[in-house]
Amino acid sequence: MPGRRRESPLKNPSRAYIALGLEGSANKLGAGVIKHAVDGSTEVLSNVRHTYITPPGEGFLPRDTAQHHREWALTVIKDAVAKAKITMHDLDCICYTKGPGMGAPLQSVALVARTLSLLYEKPLVGVNHCVGHIEMGRQVTGAQNPVVLYVSGGNTQVIAYSRQCYRIFGETLDIAVGNCLDRFARVINLSNDPSPGYNIEQEAKKGKRLVPLPYTTKGMDVSLSGILTSIEAYTSDRRYRAQGEPDEESEDIIRPADLCFSLQETVFSMLVEITERAMAHIGSREVLIVGGVGCNERLQEMMGIMAQERGGLVFATDERFCIDNGIMIAQAGLLSYRMGYQTPLAKSTCTQRFRTDEVHVAWRP
Amino acid sequence: MLSSSSSKPPTQQLLQSADLISQGAEAKVYKAYLRQVSTSCLGPDHGAVLEALEPVLLKYRFHKHYRHPSLDASLTRQRIAGEARALMRCMRSGVAVPGIRMVDVNEGVLGIEWIDGKSVRQLLPGGAELEDISELEEADEMDEIHENGAADPIADYGVSRDALMVMIGVEIAKMHLADIIHGDLTTSNMMLRKQTNDLVLIDFGLAYHSTLVEDKAVDLYVLERAFASTHPDSEPLFAGVLSAYEKRMRKHWLPIKKRLDDVRLRGRKRSMVG
Repeated sequence: MPGRRRESPLKNPSRAYIALGLEGSANKLGAGVIKHAVDGSTEVLSNVRHTYITPPGEGFLPRDTAQHHREWALTVIKDAVAKAKITMHDLDCICYTKGPGMGAPLQSVALVARTLSLLYEKPLVGVNHCVGHIEMGRQVTGAQNPVVLYVSGGNTQVIAYSRQCYRIFGETLDIAVGNCLDRFARVINLSNDPSPGYNIEQEAKKGKRLVPLPYTTKGMDVSLSGILTSIEAYTSDRRYRAQGEPDEESEDIIRPADLCFSLQETVFSMLVEITERAMAHIGSREVLIVGGVGCNERLQEMMGIMAQERGGLVFATDERFCIDNGIMIAQAGLLSYRMGYQTPLAKSTCTQRFRTDEVHVAWRP
Repeated sequence: MLSSSSSKPPTQQLLQSADLISQGAEAKVYKAYLRQVSTSCLGPDHGAVLEALEPVLLKYRFHKHYRHPSLDASLTRQRIAGEARALMRCMRSGVAVPGIRMVDVNEGVLGIEWIDGKSVRQLLPGGAELEDISELEEADEMDEIHENGAADPIADYGVSRDALMVMIGVEIAKMHLADIIHGDLTTSNMMLRKQTNDLVLIDFGLAYHSTLVEDKAVDLYVLERAFASTHPDSEPLFAGVLSAYEKRMRKHWLPIKKRLDDVRLRGRKRSMVG
């Protein structure tokens, strides 16, 4: 919007700020240290992550995930602080994920954050997980005012910034896209290491046949649960061969690779479509993809084609920043800390439901 | 040049001769002319002279290269056919919608009657200036058709604002009685036709068939939000729409009213669990 460029409320700091970010809203436990220098630049000092990996065919349960986080919290944090070559006393604040996410894992990480805050007398900053993703994506890619597609195991949202708020333009009406992919990976017994989504992506590269699936975009929203049901139904189809190798002779078989391919093509088309609709609506030319599914290269490629056709640009990050990490919590937390925001100990709770648009984005014009 | 273009399928030729009016996320909108042979003079020798050119609006759903080609083709086919089907259904039930002039599902082109007039959005205060971000109204392909408005454009039409609201309410009621859900009711998706001054609902790209009270209530709610975000202080106007709608719906109104109250409380988006 020309002529409306307001000055950023965030001034360059008078001294360097350092923040520790702790993330544990799902099966990844992350700790990262970030530094905001006097010249306004940002430096990632460390970014450590440990993932709770379950056997093939199993998802992660809240209780076990929380236990994993409790076991690994100190190791991961010590590692992050050591790699950053700082001590806990150098920190300005400790940022933790307030939500959204799974209750038990969130609580165990929040407890660690509270304890550290009391031990070292550092202020706490509660951070919205989604805003963390967006801010880190903006920081890493340098995208100015993009339409954000946030796709992960728990969230699927199309977001754009307006008047100090990340507004949700479209989202999933039922399950998240990562959830859809992960659950299908479980059905066909793909490994959860490094992540089910990654293994689906590799499998899909071998797929050729596009099986018909529902295609459900509703305005700028999508619905994914029906697709999961349909694709699962194909695994009990007569033509399905669980061990199917590409065979020239018998044409009419459906292999797991074909299903992965079809699932990705259909679901990602829907996501690109709603993103494009949001871009057309707002008149923006930039797209930023964040969240765990955002490192899928096929999704990035499709988004790239769409953006190119609109004369725009797509920004995406790699697995270090796409997949949940501590550094993004540190980044978003430090931004709001520099605007004078703190979470008093008595209010340092966490919540499973915390919408992206509930956060006051004080640091943007 | 001529020979190469004439070897193309007729729909492509028509698109080539058309003027691009606007481009949305989904489709490009063109104005083109179809030959209309009036039935009284079908004589072979004067055919050429008596052909009248009728303007049509072409909605071309172009290829999306990011999509798998066969997925893209089947979606385009479904959507073109769906939109045409919704328009037909409306027409049969007497809802004022643009007439269908041509459907080519393989090329992805829907040709509909050209409506000469202004969108309701431009006729109401606040609608002329473009909001930077208004949540509920989609970037609409039809927006740019008529941009220059007079001081009070509605005066040219000899229709009072209240009468216009009644017309809106009646058309939506007729549509809902036919179990068509528009899916994107905004003031830019309604036009007031010049001369005859009747209200026409346009852009059925998101329309679908449903008998559910829920869907009808949500349809109304979407319009309510569109009024609020596009036209400041328009509550009395929307109330006028609703009361006309109520009269037309008769016994069907009560359940919809109840559900509309629910939907308002609920808001458009539920909380997403992380």
